Amino acid sequence: MTQVWTLAALWLGLALLATLLAIWLRISTALSEIVVGTVAQLVIGAFIGIEALGAKAPWITFLSGTGAIVLTFLAGAELDPAVFRTKWKEATGLGLVAFFAPFLGCTALAYYVLHWGARASWLVGIALSTTSVAVVYAVMLELGLNRTEFGKTLLAACFINDLGTVIALGLVFAPFSVRTLVFIGVSIAVFAILPWATPRFFRKYGGRVSELEAKYLLFLLFALGGLAAWAESEAVLPAYLVGMVLAGTVGKDHVLIRRLRTMTFGLLTPFYFIRAGSFVSIPALVAAPLVGLALLLGKMGTKIAAVLPTARWLGYPKQEALYTTMMMSTGLTFGTISALFGLSHGIIDQAQYSYIVATVIGTAVIPTMIGNAWFLPRHLLPSATTEEDEAPAAAPVPQPTD
Amino acid sequence: MIKKILVAFDDSEASYRAFDFASEVAERFKAKLILLAIVRLPEPTTSLEMGAILDDAKEHYEKAFQELRDRTNPKGIDFVTSVEVGHPAEHVVALAEKEHVDLIVMGRRGRTQVGRFILGSTSERVLRYAHCAVTVVK
Repeated sequence: MTQVWTLAALWLGLALLATLLAIWLRISTALSEIVVGTVAQLVIGAFIGIEALGAKAPWITFLSGTGAIVLTFLAGAELDPAVFRTKWKEATGLGLVAFFAPFLGCTALAYYVLHWGARASWLVGIALSTTSVAVVYAVMLELGLNRTEFGKTLLAACFINDLGTVIALGLVFAPFSVRTLVFIGVSIAVFAILPWATPRFFRKYGGRVSELEAKYLLFLLFALGGLAAWAESEAVLPAYLVGMVLAGTVGKDHVLIRRLRTMTFGLLTPFYFIRAGSFVSIPALVAAPLVGLALLLGKMGTKIAAVLPTARWLGYPKQEALYTTMMMSTGLTFGTISALFGLSHGIIDQAQYSYIVATVIGTAVIPTMIGNAWFLPRHLLPSATTEEDEAPAAAPVPQPTD
Repeated sequence: MIKKILVAFDDSEASYRAFDFASEVAERFKAKLILLAIVRLPEPTTSLEMGAILDDAKEHYEKAFQELRDRTNPKGIDFVTSVEVGHPAEHVVALAEKEHVDLIVMGRRGRTQVGRFILGSTSERVLRYAHCAVTVVK
């Protein structure tokens, strides 16, 4: 056990370092963990050995996979079903446009321009098709649009966008055998029963210190994940859908969600994101930096081409539409999940994985920087001053929990 | 004549000093006091982190506001509160204009030169853009 505890200490130490960096630099913990994972692998690999970090150890793979599943479940559970029911037509239209444009565009870019294989090209299309619901929601909160009809539609559209990503990840590489049919059939039956059965089960047996709710949800996620893997699909597909179908019930139980967050944040996602970062090859990125740049421009270009006119058509003012489009070009969680799926299933090699993750990090950072620098709606600053008075784009942050 | 004062509150020691200063001014001028707290999300944020930060911030600020009320109520000073999400300086300036505030009071966190270079300064940004008088309490 000495090696296990030592390795666990090393990983949690890296997680702690990543958290401190996230606090100091005011960046997301997930992003910080990916970068720390990449640097740690490089440094530890150079001084001790490439296997020293133990990223392929079964127990680390398990914790990392559980992190991805629970993270995806919680992302799905953020959906507001009431809004979606009233706005499903517009949301579906916008969401599908925002999904298909980068999905097909980046696939074509990888296949025809970068000359990647067909499966690797589909994978990169999937990884870059995502939109970060959280980033868009943060923008909505900032602009006070989260309560407007358009804001709600846009958020629902982001869920549709990510649903497209997750379904594509779960099904594009599936063999479409009898197992696939069994997986789809069982999943549909479970999704139909869950919204009815879960609240009743929780009412009868929940609310105890034995954390029955967490065990129930983990059982469901593992069981459906196992079924997905058996069918050669991806475990995050049922996890996201379980989150969505339970959004109206479990998703509204703030106490339960907070308990799940603590478990996920404290133990699971550090293993997931650090592991995702540890597979990134810096030498591969240095050898061909333009690949990442091409993919980044591909994603941002296709998102802008698709989302901006749609947002304008739906009546969004120009500045807000530009800002929102920039924010819809971001994506971190599902981008890395897709890339890691591709690497672990042999769809892409480590160099391609590195380009995709670097692009995903780029799409997480660059659109936000551009949006804040040039497209932040200036109605918040009605008395804009002269050029020499222009203040820096990034403002410091009052911290609620310092 | 100062009729309305906006205090930018971030629960730092400096912002408590700013609040104390503003409440003294409010008491003297019989002015209305507005407390604004801003939750700044990390960039780019993730669903998990955003939900946790928003929930924690709401609880945290409610508790802090109650403590301030307990301090100022004996003096007969009351205030209204607001919690916004986003860029701090922009929200301070925007609320000050919307509420026709006469004075903005804020604390200075005292970042290092490097910190200011990386993150900028909320107080400097507010000083440049605000339509009214701004007092920065050190």
